[in-house]
Amino acid sequence: MSFTRRDLLAGGAGLVAGASVSAPFLLPRYHFDHRPKRSRVAILNVETYSAEIEGILETALREFPIHVIGKTVLLKPNLVDYLPGDAINTHPSVVFAAAECFRRRGAKSVLVAEGPGHQRDTQLVLSQSGYEEYLRSERISFVDLNRDELVRTRLRAGYTALRHLWLPLTVLEADFMVSMPKIKAHHWSGVTLSMKNMFGVVPGLRYGWPKNILHWAGIQESILDICATVPIHFVIADGVIAMEGNGPLNGIARRLGEIVLSDDPVAADATCARLMGFEPDRIPHICEASRFLGNSSRTAIDQAGETLGPSDVPFEVVPDWAYLR
Amino acid sequence: MRVQNPNGSFPAFEGDDRDGSWVTSLAIVALRDYVPGIPARLRGVHWLLKFAGRESSWLWRWKFRTTDRHVRFDTEKYGWPWCLDTVSWVVPTSFAILALNQVSCTCGDFGQAADRVKLGVEMLIDRACPNGGWNAGNGTVYGAPLSPHVDDTAIALLALWDNKPDPLVQSSVQWLERAIKEVSSPWSLGWAVLGLAAQGRPVDHVLTCLRSAPDVNALEDATTTLALVCLALDRHNTLSALGVEI
Repeated sequence: MSFTRRDLLAGGAGLVAGASVSAPFLLPRYHFDHRPKRSRVAILNVETYSAEIEGILETALREFPIHVIGKTVLLKPNLVDYLPGDAINTHPSVVFAAAECFRRRGAKSVLVAEGPGHQRDTQLVLSQSGYEEYLRSERISFVDLNRDELVRTRLRAGYTALRHLWLPLTVLEADFMVSMPKIKAHHWSGVTLSMKNMFGVVPGLRYGWPKNILHWAGIQESILDICATVPIHFVIADGVIAMEGNGPLNGIARRLGEIVLSDDPVAADATCARLMGFEPDRIPHICEASRFLGNSSRTAIDQAGETLGPSDVPFEVVPDWAYLR
Repeated sequence: MRVQNPNGSFPAFEGDDRDGSWVTSLAIVALRDYVPGIPARLRGVHWLLKFAGRESSWLWRWKFRTTDRHVRFDTEKYGWPWCLDTVSWVVPTSFAILALNQVSCTCGDFGQAADRVKLGVEMLIDRACPNGGWNAGNGTVYGAPLSPHVDDTAIALLALWDNKPDPLVQSSVQWLERAIKEVSSPWSLGWAVLGLAAQGRPVDHVLTCLRSAPDVNALEDATTTLALVCLALDRHNTLSALGVEI
């Protein structure tokens, strides 16, 4: 075998490109290990959005040792923007069923909070996506995290060069953070699940819409820094109707028929990725988070509810993420 | 003026980092008729003229032309970002155009103001959605056209008040007039009043909707919405303060 100068140059360029992609993950950028010995995940078969979801969640939550008595529970849905259909935002019937379940468990207060990434008119998103009606009828407070009081917060991992972010006081003061993502493919990050959902805590007032600073700092790296800094205590992922293809906004609705619950965001996201037909360790932020934030390995996850089998047809993704399938 | 940064920019809020933000444009407009604020305003203008989206650098322009082509736009046309070290977006660019349009002096650095405004206007036209109106930044991402937003479109139309004949401005006005009929939130209605009025369009029906809109205090923190509604209800004075000639 012989190499021409062109081969060597191409190979060298490939090595540089590969190193630039993987370099952020070669050295540990965290200083703690929050992985539980075992993580618990429940996969619930839910075919449609209806009032029955509350009963389904109530039964499933009994599988988890959740202690929220006297605590402030913050439900963080994925409210990005509104386009017709049910594939973009976490469905309000899931969010408000969860609110009722946590109230019943003795939470001091349950509030819904989000800083929509693409839409500055939060009230319009709330109204068009059906949240406003629930908020009024259930008397639940909504906090627009794009415009909340902010606290300069040192990041607890160093994957980006940001070092600190201004974060909403409401998020920092919450006792129990529930990330409630919509299960979607994402053109920049591969997937958007419970950890990517935390981009919504970064305030638009300070960083603009759509939180462009996180894109420049590195999306996968930013997810890790934010999730290391703002712990997720529980996950309720809405995959009744999910999204494949060019998510988070312009993909295609995909009827997955599942809601995923977990006490570990990494286990939740790894399980959701498997439901989507992806290998979770190929998604950089899930792979790296499994070193210090939670468990992605099936062997460390106790699973309840539906059986996690191979996905019949993996979710479509944009070409850059084709290797996930 | 007390919170103005040493570099002339204004922070997004009191106590913010000192690198400056999109709020600087609004502070410049707010200080327009306040004589003791003239030095602070001039320092703000100096900073705004230096502040630009990352794509203003040749390196990033090259990157967007060669390796990063998922978001398609004319890299030669740039405006202003929300915060340091990011690219240009529709709203901060629109606010900066409104602020710099008020600079009448051409001495020193201020001579660049007209060129930056021209470039900013070209950027807005370039980044519009394919059928008119504006999303947050680009009109197309990963080959998919993005939907316009009412507030982004209205703010861009406010900044483009002097570009009425442009076909894209006209189609955006038509889109906004159609879209606003389906909207009841005070934030979007408020911006639509100002954007359409700046384009010389009748806004009585939008004002009627705004007056009957749901309680602006429905959100936990509605200060910005309340302020905007006040500005929209007093649209003639607001447009005058923004330098918009109807």
